[in-house]
Amino acid sequence: MSTTTTQSSEAKTTTRELALSVQNLTTSFRSDRGLVTAVSNVSFDLFKGEALGLVGESGCGKSVTSKSLMRLLPEHVTRYGSDSKVMLGSDNVMKYSNREMRKIRGNRIAMIFQEPMTALNPVFTIGWQLDEALRHHTKLNRADRRKRVVELLDMVEIPNPDKRYGEYPHQLSGGMRQRVVIAMALACEPEILIADEPTTALDVTIQAQILRLMNDLRERTGTAILLITHDLGVVAQTCDRVVVMYAGQVVEQASVGDLFHNPSHPYTRALLQSIPRSGKKEKGKRLATIDGIVPSLLDMPKACRFAERCDCRQPQCDVEMPELVNFSGDRSVRCHFPVHK
Amino acid sequence: MTNSSSDSRALRKFLRHKPAVVASFIIAAYAVVAMLLLFTNMITMDDTLQRVGPETIPGFSSVQNPEKRLEDAEWLLDRIDTLAGREDPRAALDSFRDLGVRHVAEIPIEDLQQRVEEGWEIYDRLAEVEDLTAAVNGTLNSPDAPTGEVVLADLQQLELKLDELLAPMTAKEKSTRWFEMLFGTDRQGRSIFYRSVYSIRVAVLVGLITGLLSVTIGTIAGLLSGYFGGWVDNLITWLYSTFASIPNIVLLILLAFMFDGGHIDEPLNRWTGGLLKWLIGGRLDETLIPVYIAFTATFWIGPCRVIRGETLKIRELEYVQAATVMGFGRTRILLRHILPNVTYLMLINFSLLFIGAIKSEVILSFLGLGVKKGPSWGIMISQSKVEVINGFFWQIGTATVLMFFLVLAFNVLSDALQDVLDPKHV
Repeated sequence: MSTTTTQSSEAKTTTRELALSVQNLTTSFRSDRGLVTAVSNVSFDLFKGEALGLVGESGCGKSVTSKSLMRLLPEHVTRYGSDSKVMLGSDNVMKYSNREMRKIRGNRIAMIFQEPMTALNPVFTIGWQLDEALRHHTKLNRADRRKRVVELLDMVEIPNPDKRYGEYPHQLSGGMRQRVVIAMALACEPEILIADEPTTALDVTIQAQILRLMNDLRERTGTAILLITHDLGVVAQTCDRVVVMYAGQVVEQASVGDLFHNPSHPYTRALLQSIPRSGKKEKGKRLATIDGIVPSLLDMPKACRFAERCDCRQPQCDVEMPELVNFSGDRSVRCHFPVHK
Repeated sequence: MTNSSSDSRALRKFLRHKPAVVASFIIAAYAVVAMLLLFTNMITMDDTLQRVGPETIPGFSSVQNPEKRLEDAEWLLDRIDTLAGREDPRAALDSFRDLGVRHVAEIPIEDLQQRVEEGWEIYDRLAEVEDLTAAVNGTLNSPDAPTGEVVLADLQQLELKLDELLAPMTAKEKSTRWFEMLFGTDRQGRSIFYRSVYSIRVAVLVGLITGLLSVTIGTIAGLLSGYFGGWVDNLITWLYSTFASIPNIVLLILLAFMFDGGHIDEPLNRWTGGLLKWLIGGRLDETLIPVYIAFTATFWIGPCRVIRGETLKIRELEYVQAATVMGFGRTRILLRHILPNVTYLMLINFSLLFIGAIKSEVILSFLGLGVKKGPSWGIMISQSKVEVINGFFWQIGTATVLMFFLVLAFNVLSDALQDVLDPKHV
């Protein structure tokens, strides 16, 4: 584990080991009005020990992407693109049977959800619930499992883990519950942790604690984190790299520093301008917003999907769909006229 | 250790709910009586069918009007007189069990006949009085009428004579007699106490069995339908919608008629070589089985609907998704993660169905379609129709009060359970 720790801190200089590679992920749903494509051709890599942010506004396909990775979407209405690949090591998860998928879930890829209030089963103690995960995926005996559960609770900084073992979810606060959820996700030391807006339902101080905890755990265990959020502040605090999504497509991919200081895509720039700021210069100014609305999934423009709301729109933007172009190292952007500084 | 905190929390909440505690004591009392009736011979069905004394005696040995007292005296005199005139009077008198525990006195037949004769004399004197009640009250208008004291003395003397005709009661007989006559007798001289208490057995059996069957079927159907959706859901929804669209009571009557008169038994016994007869030792319509089937056919819909809805809700909750993410299979999620979250609904539904079944049984028996053999509250209420017209309320009153307390206690209990057991209701 110590090697991965150094890897993550020196991520840019050393060669990185791939944890998960998403290639051309396309997810569509059958509906009364035909096939609706919620996510189209999304590709990104997740390296070991890294935290990758997946940001975008509501409905842009963040959650569908994450659920596609775990194949959690209802099977009878979901269609994946034929060239969609989710490579976990050398295996394509998309080709897995349900049985094989069950072995991966919780064991190699774990996931935590937004709402800690309902993320734990109200009728069982948290100890029982953590124990169940271990019982399912490991061959540890009863005493060892108990020891491990207490260890996990201790790891997520829950005080008196021995006492908390026998408590029910309703006896814990939201922050504590989210810690338990994280402990449960990390119970089998997964390679990848998908966190779907893990701090949205928490207040700001708890949010900071949970983010710090997740960062600590990532450094200690080398688990790669895919953090899905619409909060750019959370991304800045936690992630190494960021993937920005808009209307089911990746529009920009960059390291956190580059993205915040030097955004290339007009959408990213507009997003960053929409963050409320404090200070003298901002006094009396209206908060910037992005005009217009996201195009409907049923009626996606063939050309650039952001064109209608873009403030540097050119005639070409309404005709041709821009490709995701990789232009320097980690950076790629989907725009005909990216801003380069 | 792991369960203690939640269980004690539920228990504490329950104990704070005073009416529920009282209700559970009442239910426990009924349950004890039902168990005693089921597993001991405390009261047998024969007891409930046997004549224990004169007709329509009011309960709590309340004082009756003089006419009724005279009538009862006449009934006993007539009975003993007839028996003493038989070929073998001693045997006839010994086999005279109509009086329940009381025997005819062990004295020579001549003495017995002598006493009966004396009894008839007093009876004749009293029978001549025009309006006995008025005479006892001394409000008779004719000048040659006997005074109230004389008439009353005659009546008491007659009753004393009757007492001499019977053997003195032992202590045990006295207590049995007290119970027999506690709530009086019905129009056929049967003990209302025995009949109404024996009906608890029927009520608890019907409630328990149909409640358990309906909740089990409803829960399985509801869970499958809610969790798997698709064609399973369509099928189960269609099934219960169809059943629900038939008026409840009509379906019950239909099924009751179907089983009536052994129509079902005959082919079943023919195909299985008398297996059914061997299993239940008689005809289906003599047992409570038709009642169970008829009730379960309609009662499973309630729990099925509720549990399907709850499952649909829980299925989308994040702890179920989290369980999927942990790699648990669907059966495991259904049984270990969803089922425990609907058990409170099962309990509440059971207590509701329990009383529902009892009430329906009473209605069906009232209509003559439910219990065929032995007493039941419905049959008692049905039989007391004529008595009520004559101002005799003991039979209908006893049956109703016993049913009322059981139903009320269960209502209070299911209400309390709803508060206590709901895991989200902290």
